Amino acid sequence: MAVQTIVTYPDPILKKPCPPVDQIDASIAQLVEDLADTMRAGPGSVGVAAPQIGVSLRVCVIDVSKNRYGKENNHGLLLMVNPAILARSGSAVMREGCMSVPDYTGDVERATDLTLRFTEPDGTVRQFEASGFEAVAIQHEMDHLDGMLFLDRITSLKTGLFRRKSYK
Amino acid sequence: MRAFEFDLIKGELMNDCRKANLAHFAVTIIGKDRPGIVADTSEVLFTVGCNVEDSSCTMLGGEFAMILIVSHEKPFSKKKLEAEFAAKNMGNGLSAFIRTLKDDEVCYREPVGELCLVSVYGCDKPGIVYRITRELADRGVNITDLNTKLIGSPLEPVYVLMLEAALPHGLSVEDASRLLEKLKKELSVEISVRLITPVSL
Repeated sequence: MAVQTIVTYPDPILKKPCPPVDQIDASIAQLVEDLADTMRAGPGSVGVAAPQIGVSLRVCVIDVSKNRYGKENNHGLLLMVNPAILARSGSAVMREGCMSVPDYTGDVERATDLTLRFTEPDGTVRQFEASGFEAVAIQHEMDHLDGMLFLDRITSLKTGLFRRKSYK
Repeated sequence: MRAFEFDLIKGELMNDCRKANLAHFAVTIIGKDRPGIVADTSEVLFTVGCNVEDSSCTMLGGEFAMILIVSHEKPFSKKKLEAEFAAKNMGNGLSAFIRTLKDDEVCYREPVGELCLVSVYGCDKPGIVYRITRELADRGVNITDLNTKLIGSPLEPVYVLMLEAALPHGLSVEDASRLLEKLKKELSVEISVRLITPVSL
């Protein structure tokens, strides 16, 4: 077990785009393990990205299989090095919170379906379609790799519904 | 046992809030909408050295309404704040109301439990807000946010009510939905309840 402390905003690492991993070595394997341990230790956490534990590299882990929104539709534990979204479609709004921005939640619009490609710590390249809550979680964690927080993506105030009337 | 539990909770709350040296006030500002209401209000607060700790401001009809929780290092009196607002707002149509908050209002506990969004809409008639909220209140449902709007045409006015509420332990979204089902017919409105409990990512 190597549960790491979650970095919270305003730590500048959270707003910095992460460089890709050049070579998967023992340090990357250790990083992935730390991320998975940290995710399991966080109450209700379904994903952690490397910058959230203070490492600026394109690595993140996700597991929505124990979450009520994700348990019916998931690919289990995902250990992702240099993940890339190749295609995305659909859209849905979900109220998100983030361990790196405690005590705040907001409605964020995300794609509902995506094609994902990443490298596993053993070098295997995986590519598959993800949807629903797993797709939301993937986009949230991958945003961290680009220095984006959900605060950058909140689309509407609570009163947004009524403002739309004036667009007609 | 009960007293002990209460002390424990009270102790936790006091530890959490860390605001012993601060005086807290609830400030309500309302007036005919125009650009500059927020700037004028925050100017007064900044000038006297108040921090805006929490706020919600919106347009209601042609009015702009601000509700703020502000704090200031003790000693500080409500009178001082009232005098500043009275001087600034003289003749500009804004009214200000200030209330001093007690410790147990400052060190509150967020409602826990599943969060749901209830949407209600239909032909306008008296009693929609009252009947819906009374039904929820009687079951211990805690409303955390509520908006209403009259839309549609003057000939066919439509009422829209949206609220967010924390459900008490043991009451599911399905239970809440069933609870409001009978009001659908009685009030001839559409009612839907959906889960919006945030996801931790």
